[in-house]
Amino acid sequence: MELDDFLGPRIIIVSGKGGVGKTTVSAALAIVAARRGRKVCITEVDRKGTLAKLFDSEPLTYEPSEMSPNVWGIHIEPGDALAEYLDVQYHMKRISWVFTTTHFLDIITTTAPGFKDILVLGKVWYLEQGRTRSAVKHSFDNVIVDAPAAGHMLSFLESPKGLTDALRVGPIRRQAEWLVDMVTDPHRTKVHLVTLPEEMPVIETLETSEALRRRLGIRSGAIFVNAVYSELLSKQERSLLAEIRSAGRTAELAKVAARVGLDLEEEDVDALVGYERFLEARRSIQARHLRALRRGTEEPVVTLPFLFSAGLALPDIETLADALEKEIEAL
Amino acid sequence: MSAVSEIAARKEVIVCAGAGGVGKTTVAAAVGLRAAAEGKKVAVLTIDPARRLATSLGLKELGNDPSRVSPRRFSSAGIDMRGELYAMMLDTKSTFDEVVMRYAPSDEQAETILANRLYRNIAGTLSGTQEYMAMEKLYELHAAGGYDLIVIDTPPTRNALDFLDAPRRMTDFLDSRVLKWLILPYTRAGGGIFRMANAAATTFLRVVKRIVGSEVLQDTAEFFANLQGMYDGFKQRAREVAQLLQSDATSFIVVTSPAADSVAEATFFSSRLNEAGLPFGALVVNRVHPRLGDPIAVRPRVLQRLERGDGEERLLAKLLDNYEAFMRVVSLEEKNLAALARRVPKHCWVRVPYLEREAVDLPGLWAVSEQLFDGPADA
Ligand SMILES: Nc1ncnc2c1ncn2[C@@H]1O[C@H](COP(=O)(O)OP(=O)(O)OP(=O)(O)O)[C@@H](O)[C@H]1O
Ligand SMILES: Nc1ncnc2c1ncn2[C@@H]1O[C@H](COP(=O)(O)OP(=O)(O)O)[C@@H](O)[C@H]1O
Ligand SMILES: [Mg+2]
Ligand SMILES: [Mg+2]
Repeated sequence: MELDDFLGPRIIIVSGKGGVGKTTVSAALAIVAARRGRKVCITEVDRKGTLAKLFDSEPLTYEPSEMSPNVWGIHIEPGDALAEYLDVQYHMKRISWVFTTTHFLDIITTTAPGFKDILVLGKVWYLEQGRTRSAVKHSFDNVIVDAPAAGHMLSFLESPKGLTDALRVGPIRRQAEWLVDMVTDPHRTKVHLVTLPEEMPVIETLETSEALRRRLGIRSGAIFVNAVYSELLSKQERSLLAEIRSAGRTAELAKVAARVGLDLEEEDVDALVGYERFLEARRSIQARHLRALRRGTEEPVVTLPFLFSAGLALPDIETLADALEKEIEAL
Repeated sequence: MSAVSEIAARKEVIVCAGAGGVGKTTVAAAVGLRAAAEGKKVAVLTIDPARRLATSLGLKELGNDPSRVSPRRFSSAGIDMRGELYAMMLDTKSTFDEVVMRYAPSDEQAETILANRLYRNIAGTLSGTQEYMAMEKLYELHAAGGYDLIVIDTPPTRNALDFLDAPRRMTDFLDSRVLKWLILPYTRAGGGIFRMANAAATTFLRVVKRIVGSEVLQDTAEFFANLQGMYDGFKQRAREVAQLLQSDATSFIVVTSPAADSVAEATFFSSRLNEAGLPFGALVVNRVHPRLGDPIAVRPRVLQRLERGDGEERLLAKLLDNYEAFMRVVSLEEKNLAALARRVPKHCWVRVPYLEREAVDLPGLWAVSEQLFDGPADA
């Protein structure tokens, strides 16, 4: 698939359960887009600040800021989004503490489940329309939504629909309908799912993808499987190692090392083959879950390598962006 | 004797807490399994077990009472089971139903609440409900006194602290001023406060009405007005649970992974436990990449020669490369854990390596329990 087609829908929602790599994948996608001269904005909804740290920039605020060339970021706090919403819809400025307390939001959320998500999506919609709270205008080619893990991503996306069903009447209904249009229009929005090659994440991803289709009528975009261990040895090398192992000749590896002047003790050799065994054991577990995923979905599956890095930083994101480009082009 | 085996021997309640995905459910199940094998009658209360784990424990569905894991399962897994293991998957909704029936002033009021259109949503969205219900269940099981040990897993909050604060968040919410304003028109006693808070309350109601519409507003207000008679029951129970958790009968196991995020959370969580007077028992660092050896220094030139060499040499080059990569991860994990080492005394630490198998069947759980109970106190 052409990268530009992949990036065609302006709104790109990246979702998945906690800790699977949503923020990492969002950042890598943003880099891919920026390399093609697109101006992108990543929206962060949780308070972790992971995104700003990845780009080594100041913490994000409700006003977009540029984290690296053409890659912008914004932090959406439901309270801020509520204030903007009240302001835009009802010309109410933040008149009282009441509207900013969490209990106020709790009550609204209780009466209208998903309301916080509506606020967040509403802000995404404002961004799509090029509106910001300050006078500064932005026109983003892509808005990448690093979707919250809390709650379920489905309720996040379903919330406008849930609302339209629950609130047969009521003023928020019109707003909710716009949002439903936005998320269900494949030319405007694409939802990608991030997962890990592990049992529960795969099961949940398949369920989410299925529920998206059944309940919202949207096809999920790609399913990104993150942190997949890359293949270390070629087939011949594996059988060579198996041969050495089964003959109990691993000590010979020390002799091979000695040929190039490298001094290896017996423990070193044990550790070397130990990590190879660990990697292979985990790789076969991952492969099983990957197969289950591929069997269970028709959506394109994109794998991203596990990076052995001392904490991910921008160069790692560039590496993942390289991998993404290749994988997407091969779709 | 590891910190985990010590508390498993002495305590009546063990709470496994930590950020989502670190292995709380696995640890809870493994602790329960081992304690039962050693002769106790144990109940494990799980929240969201992996499918295959639930299957291994014979849990087919959510249930509100622990059911016994068939002894046959242990013998076929080669586990010598001297006690009894019971397990359950918490069903938040039906626990909430039970709570409503227990605390409602009258059967009639209970019926009204259970029949309310909003009730279904609220059982799932009111913040802290799942945690509250888990605590409710724990208290009930403990009070009934049928088990030597109850091991409880905690809900997959993003943040371990949410769990600690949940009961208070829920009662705070029920007590909050805005909620009072909402239900004011439905209570008789409201007059006095109403005058005082009049301006703010009116603005508040106006805005809520604008956002959600008057019909929904009315349903909600009615619902909470009905719930009011039960607040005292809720709060009383929250206090009793707090007492149980603070007592000598209980111990907390903080589970973390060696990733920076979850270590930071575990660090914060441990100090919060302390402040809240809750007994910290053990720190379990789960899924640690094992350190298999010492760093091997290879000069780049040597590596290049190997890479250009024959089959064996290329194989060796790759093994060295892989080794270096794993050692990088190992040192990152050690660096991440260093901050925690300053806060948590050495004898409380238990490390569980990233296993070469999945911990979703009884032999896998057993392997985890061996690390938890017999592993070295600290590496
Ligand atoms: N491909 C990868 N290789 C190695 N480590 C990775 C990879 N992707 C992510 N990680 C690491 O995994 C952890 C979780 O990643 P990330 O913060 O992107 O997840 P998330 O889904 O945004 O999490 P949350 O739900 O907490 O917001 C981070 O420590 C990150 O550095
Ligand atoms: N020490 C371990 N080695 C290998 N896999 C593990 C280990 N601990 C947990 N797992 C696996 O990690 C996944 C998440 O564990 P789980 O206990 O469900 O986490 P939590 O309850 O904290 O969300 C499960 O698939 C489990 O089998
Ligand atoms: Mg994130
Ligand atoms: Mg769990």
